Amino acid sequence: MIPLTLETVSYAGAVGLVVIGGLGLVICNHLFRMLLALVMAESGANLLLVLTGFRGGAIAPIIGYGPAGAPMVDPLPQVLVLTAIVIGVGVQALAVAVLVRVYRTYGILDMRELRRRMEGEIAVAAGIAAPGSAQVPLGQRPLPPVPDYELVRRSAPVRERGA
Amino acid sequence: MTLELPVDLLFGLNLDLNLDLTKVMTANAIVLPVVLPLLAAFLMQPLAQVSRTLARLLGPLVLALGAWIILNAWLDVGPAPFSVAIGGFAAPLGIVFYADQLALLFALAVQVFTLLFWPGLGAAAKADAAADRQRAPRRDALALLLASAATGLALSGDLFNIFIFYELAAVASFGLVCADGSGRARIATLRYLFVSAFGSVLALVGIAILYLQTGTLNLAQLAQVAPETLQGPIGLAAFALLLIGFGVKAELFPLNAWVPEVYATAPARVSALLAGLVSKLAILVIVRLLILVFQQPEASQLLLVLGVLGVLTGEFSAWRAQDFPRLLAFSSIGQLGLVAIAFSIDGTTGILAGTAVALHHLIIKSALFGLANRWSGGLDALTGAAKGAPRAAGLFVLFALSLVGVPPLWGFWIKLLIMVGLVQGGSPLDLLALGAILLATAVEAHYLFRVALRLYQPPVQDQASRLAPPARWDTGVAYLLGACLVVISVAITPATEALRVLAQQTGDVLLYIDTVFPQPLAYKE
Repeated sequence: MIPLTLETVSYAGAVGLVVIGGLGLVICNHLFRMLLALVMAESGANLLLVLTGFRGGAIAPIIGYGPAGAPMVDPLPQVLVLTAIVIGVGVQALAVAVLVRVYRTYGILDMRELRRRMEGEIAVAAGIAAPGSAQVPLGQRPLPPVPDYELVRRSAPVRERGA
Repeated sequence: MTLELPVDLLFGLNLDLNLDLTKVMTANAIVLPVVLPLLAAFLMQPLAQVSRTLARLLGPLVLALGAWIILNAWLDVGPAPFSVAIGGFAAPLGIVFYADQLALLFALAVQVFTLLFWPGLGAAAKADAAADRQRAPRRDALALLLASAATGLALSGDLFNIFIFYELAAVASFGLVCADGSGRARIATLRYLFVSAFGSVLALVGIAILYLQTGTLNLAQLAQVAPETLQGPIGLAAFALLLIGFGVKAELFPLNAWVPEVYATAPARVSALLAGLVSKLAILVIVRLLILVFQQPEASQLLLVLGVLGVLTGEFSAWRAQDFPRLLAFSSIGQLGLVAIAFSIDGTTGILAGTAVALHHLIIKSALFGLANRWSGGLDALTGAAKGAPRAAGLFVLFALSLVGVPPLWGFWIKLLIMVGLVQGGSPLDLLALGAILLATAVEAHYLFRVALRLYQPPVQDQASRLAPPARWDTGVAYLLGACLVVISVAITPATEALRVLAQQTGDVLLYIDTVFPQPLAYKE
């Protein structure tokens, strides 16, 4: 039995956050929720990184702070985690920016639908048949043409799905 | 002022102190190929306000300068490896750049290939010249960021520093992929971003575990303490996390679903850079970790299994692909699986074979994506393209033959090397990998020759006018790379010997430690 200390709980929490984030990325289809899941996973990783420098009962690593010779926590992971947080925020901001552009173009944030449209557009651009689903296998039948999404969007505002 | 600078830099360089100052300066200049593109990237936008011509020339000039500096360092200071402590802070505390032949080779490849596939060179889209002029500085800045980060990945000797360069390369590639502003490219970028960011999270967790176990992230110091602290399941877990994390860019098996979408939607030259260069540098990082830090056989086996899965899924998906960019993308996944298999072979043979197959793929896949610039349609649309572009079609056949491994070409010798290595390994897993490679080769031959056949069929009436031959610049680059391939195939013995020296140097863990720490330094908590 692992003793239930502050450290073990924190470690379990950090790994748990990463796992929850990963599951969220896999399960969610709404782009913004996927982004939030990513944020959660990144927090978990950052927490784990800062925990690696943790010592029980140690003081902040500032010279002249606290009694001389007292044990200090390891300052290096704190520096590393600052860098990691900044990188993470940057990537998330970029994700939000691209997400807004996608929403302005297509009017939806549902990942499955967006992926279907992307496949369709790639197929149209390449002049090949759109990829079929498992229920509708590719064959010799005349396939319905993939609609031009610019036209569809202009004629009728697409209601958001899967929000 | 002039006197102080070299002396100050002298302390940062871990070389014999009896070397003359010019050599020290040449070695220290190895930092510049990382720093200068960064600086130029940030100067690009203001410079474009002043003079557009200057801004257009800045990127290629910086890259050419970087290539010259690296060549100089190689010829003057090499062939022995050397290390440079950034800012003069010695190794365990500061960050070091470690430059052996492998690192210098790939750093040079970064400069040369970014130059060859520079987005603004050759026939840039003339149709929307105004929009292109608007976009060009931003796109060039991103390409420079990518070059800088990729050079850093090749040279850095500190794991966290590598992580940061990896993230920088990721962000630059997101921007480049959706640079042309189409909706489908943005969706692909977003999906790529999610996968890549989650991979980074996993890599970060792996780094945290490493730090927890060892208390250091300097690769040389990790190599010293790894035999005691990183054996067993915890070390293996850290390696698995780092492998999957860095494997996103290396197109390794579990997290490579982004590859076909991104290469089908991104500009062809960006695909060439991502598939050719960035994937190799991610592999390079994994190989450094494998050689220096994770020496247990289970780590190699894990890489082998991921490689086999990559080869099989990649080649079979490529067989089913219906358009040229996605065929190349899936084939790229398969080839990188082959690279992973090669590096998982024990000893110098593995490093030799891995480096060779990585270089081979770098040359061929970049050139093929260059050709795909105008041939981005479905495979059916390629029927009869050889009539309009006989030289490009001939080059395609040459590259296809080498990819499959037809005897006089370099690809054959590489596959032979890998297979001999696997047979010498002899474990059931090795033999399984051998079977997978043979099967994949047959599949590869089928789909590549099918395309080649289609190129030489008589053109369909209405399609003949639609197919433009590849742009002159891209064909020129393909010619150059094809010439490289032929030269290496002819001079196979000296080329392999040179690579063997390089591989021996790379595999020498003690050499790495001694170069970074000139006096043996005992690490104490």
